[in-house]
Amino acid sequence: MRALSVLNFAATLAAASLLPLAGAKAQDAYTVGVTAAMTGPAAATQAPVIEMLRIYVDRLNARGGINGHRINLLIEDDQAEPSKAAANATKLIRQDNVMLMINSSLSSTYGPVIAESKRANVPLWFAGGVCPKETHPPKPDPLLFCSTGFDFGVDIPVAIHAIKEMAKEPVKLGLVGIPVPISRIGVDTAEKLAAQLGMATVDKEFIPPATADYTPFATKMMAGNPNWGYAYAPWPAEAKTFEALRRLGWTGNYLAYGHIQAEDELKRIADGGLQIFTANALFQDNLPVHKEIREVAAQGKYSFPATYASEGWITGRALEQILTKAGWPASADKVAAAMSTLNLDTQGVRGGPMVWTADNHFRTKQYYRFYRYDPGQKSVIQTRDWLAVDVVD
Amino acid sequence: MRDGSPYAQELALFGTRARRIRLAAALAVLAALPFVATPFLLDLANQVLLACIGALALMLLTGFAGLISLGTAGLLAAGAYCVGVLVREVGAPFWITLPAAAVLGALLGLIFGLPSLRLRGLYLAISTLGLHFVVVYLGGEYEAREVLSTGVMIDSPSIGGFTLSSGRAWYFALLAFAALALLISVNLQRSRTGRAWRALRERDIVASALGIDVQRFKLMAFMVSATMTAVAGALFAYFRNFVSIDAFSLYLTVQYLAMIIIGGMGSIPGALLGAGFVILFPYAIEAIAAYLPERFSNMEFAIDYAAFGVVMILFLLLEPAGLMGIWQRLRNSFAARRAPAVLSRDRR
Amino acid sequence: MSLQLVANVVVLAAIYALVSTGYVLVYRVSRVLNLAHGELMMVGAYFLVSTAGLFSSNPILALVLAALCGLVMGVLVYVVLMRWMTGEAVLAAVLITIALGILLRGLSILIWTTQQFYPAAMFGWRNPPVHVAPGVQISAASLAIVCLTIVVYIGLFVFLQFTRWGVRMRAAGQSPLLAEQRGIRLHAVYAVAWGLSTFTASLAGMLLALDSGVESTMATIGLKAFPAALVGGLDSLLGAAIGALIVAAAEIAAIQYVNPLLSDVVPFLVLLIVLAIRPWGLFGSREQLDRV
Repeated sequence: MRALSVLNFAATLAAASLLPLAGAKAQDAYTVGVTAAMTGPAAATQAPVIEMLRIYVDRLNARGGINGHRINLLIEDDQAEPSKAAANATKLIRQDNVMLMINSSLSSTYGPVIAESKRANVPLWFAGGVCPKETHPPKPDPLLFCSTGFDFGVDIPVAIHAIKEMAKEPVKLGLVGIPVPISRIGVDTAEKLAAQLGMATVDKEFIPPATADYTPFATKMMAGNPNWGYAYAPWPAEAKTFEALRRLGWTGNYLAYGHIQAEDELKRIADGGLQIFTANALFQDNLPVHKEIREVAAQGKYSFPATYASEGWITGRALEQILTKAGWPASADKVAAAMSTLNLDTQGVRGGPMVWTADNHFRTKQYYRFYRYDPGQKSVIQTRDWLAVDVVD
Repeated sequence: MRDGSPYAQELALFGTRARRIRLAAALAVLAALPFVATPFLLDLANQVLLACIGALALMLLTGFAGLISLGTAGLLAAGAYCVGVLVREVGAPFWITLPAAAVLGALLGLIFGLPSLRLRGLYLAISTLGLHFVVVYLGGEYEAREVLSTGVMIDSPSIGGFTLSSGRAWYFALLAFAALALLISVNLQRSRTGRAWRALRERDIVASALGIDVQRFKLMAFMVSATMTAVAGALFAYFRNFVSIDAFSLYLTVQYLAMIIIGGMGSIPGALLGAGFVILFPYAIEAIAAYLPERFSNMEFAIDYAAFGVVMILFLLLEPAGLMGIWQRLRNSFAARRAPAVLSRDRR
Repeated sequence: MSLQLVANVVVLAAIYALVSTGYVLVYRVSRVLNLAHGELMMVGAYFLVSTAGLFSSNPILALVLAALCGLVMGVLVYVVLMRWMTGEAVLAAVLITIALGILLRGLSILIWTTQQFYPAAMFGWRNPPVHVAPGVQISAASLAIVCLTIVVYIGLFVFLQFTRWGVRMRAAGQSPLLAEQRGIRLHAVYAVAWGLSTFTASLAGMLLALDSGVESTMATIGLKAFPAALVGGLDSLLGAAIGALIVAAAEIAAIQYVNPLLSDVVPFLVLLIVLAIRPWGLFGSREQLDRV
């Protein structure tokens, strides 16, 4: 008798491949694949979106599904790592035959997922992660769509113009980002735009994520004496830099994009000089839909605070409309067609309806609200109502 | 040595008729696999084959020569980025990029190996750890400087009109590379270099006293291993059609270490078994995780990490000789009941 | 400005030094390099999150409880896991700590999710700036870290020099065989070393959490502190403190004068330089170069 050699192992593998695989899914449900950063560095921003989506879908299924059929939401974690996202996309598309792919992760995962989706002609929806240029008007890629609230192409001009408007004296700008290409590009764009508007940038800082102490970076920034700060990065970098600056005695104003955690964080930091702008209305606006979101989150045992759920909620409602329009029997083509006619009433969470057309898989108008914490009222207040911006490319 | 003499049979790889038959059978199975497997399983097989190359490289360095290296991920990244940079900057075809990756690997092997001339054991491992971070930093800098928000996209390699992109085509390509790596490993093991390495691992002072040029063989171990690893990295870049620095974390290095430990240190079949185990393990865990409550089943990687940590601990505690050790014990428990074989020719 | 820089260096060095005590304690006493130290620090921080959630109106209780849990965790790690590796090849022990680190990463996400937590906010504490000198400000939590690090170092020094257990630990570290023959129970000594190691790690984690929150990638900070321990010599506490100052100074100098993006890799560059010139560190014992 001979030892088990590598060759026999190969035989075992071959034999195993003949076994029916547990993954084969019956096509009597809408199969939707998701690759998302559920754990890992980007999870703080992405996981809440997908978890709320899952809760929303579970609720839909409990009420009988869509057009009488369940939605089979297959969620795969990619840890914001491109190779894992690629493997997920391969599995979901080739093995599970999904009719729609959702990607909620860092932009570094987009390349391979886009390639795989296009190879199989499956529509790909970016929900919660930054919107790639291919979804923008006037000629978006037919298969790529994006619903995420923020977009650096629009956010940055809005922010820089807002700073110019709000500033009561000549602006010396300090810019904050992280060493990830999109943040770098954003900060560089901000610098150029600020210069065009007559504002000088005194310092740019790119802070690595695993930093124990933000003070050294803040110290460097203070040397240039900025009176305004603008941050384009995930929330932790935005907020911690601000806090570090404050601790060094900085008294300037700071503007940052309000990511998912921003509302709770504003209350925690409790500083009137920190302003955020966001595409999703904060819960402090107390809209009827916010009550509904809270209830659904509580019922679904959402593991994050309810204030993190807006983006996921919108994604869920959009998915509902898309699949309803796609009808039954559905296919990737029908879903893509339905997506190109999306017209979703956002119930006040966004400044206007979310509209996708054949020429625009992003949106034609972007809306922002501005907020800050008011130490006098001890609550978050709205400093500017919906500012509409045309999306032109 | 004429054919037929007992020594010739020992030396030949497939000397006995029995071995040749088994080889033929195994080749038949391996060749048939891509035609019966589902696309998903085929992709898994491809991943395993790719991992085998890196695992064999690490086995040669750490398992044979006893030189601990935590630099696997850095070397894979170097090979992958070599391809990425060359493709992006000059549009080089694969028959330039692959050899370039090999050369880069050899060079890095030399650099990673230099500390081994002064340091041993833990300190050697630490130095390779430092080098890992430096390589990863450089890759990140390249990516960021080149304004790449999605890593480097790489087209599938093509020659003539044929493009290597289907699962099946990759299977045979990777099988060829893995077989080559296996051949190199087995031959090295049986050669003078392999024996020198083994002497190094046991007691390098004694080896030196025996006249073995310790420095030369240490560096050679690093260079050979690094070259193979860099080529594996280059293949990975082509296989996935892109490169991004996030894929090359310390966890990747740990996974390769786990491959040679779980497989069985110092054993070539062990490296292959270990590669298969570590690659397939997450999928097995995922199948089990589907039975957990929803909140956990989505945290795939957290469960993966936890389970992987547990398995590694169990192997290190209970079966340091790895899967090969388990197999040996099973074998021995059967063999004890037979007539004892005096000189087992089948020992590898 | 430059005084502020000095203050920043001191704060960062204090963080690294506090974390390094754990590396040094375990290595000095049992010759094991604990590469799970960063994860253990992170779990200590998460302990505070849990106790803060339970006892938000009684911060002192929450802090003490979390620190004690950290201590117990270290003892458990030894008793359940590392004990079996005593006497085995050191490489295997290190690999087991790596595996432990991976296990802890997974478990902590499963238990506490990927959300970011702020224990200070849970207590209703602010983190105001403190003027320590003209033109120099650091956060209150940072000041606490510096003070605590000094206290811990003095405490450890006294413990190791003058108490019975401390002497036993030093003996076990110098020569396990002789120590055992002298009647010192090695398992008990090692368990205490591990407990102390995770205790200081938890303190570091808790203070970092109070300063800037906890989230699942905090363990990386533990890995960045490792070069500090190595530069000083893996078995020397004094060395760890000095090594921490050197690494922190190099990192902040890089941020201020060269390129902020280097800050992640500078500790390891320092590590490589030290390994090239003087592998056993500034104050380490030379014989530590022996093979695994």
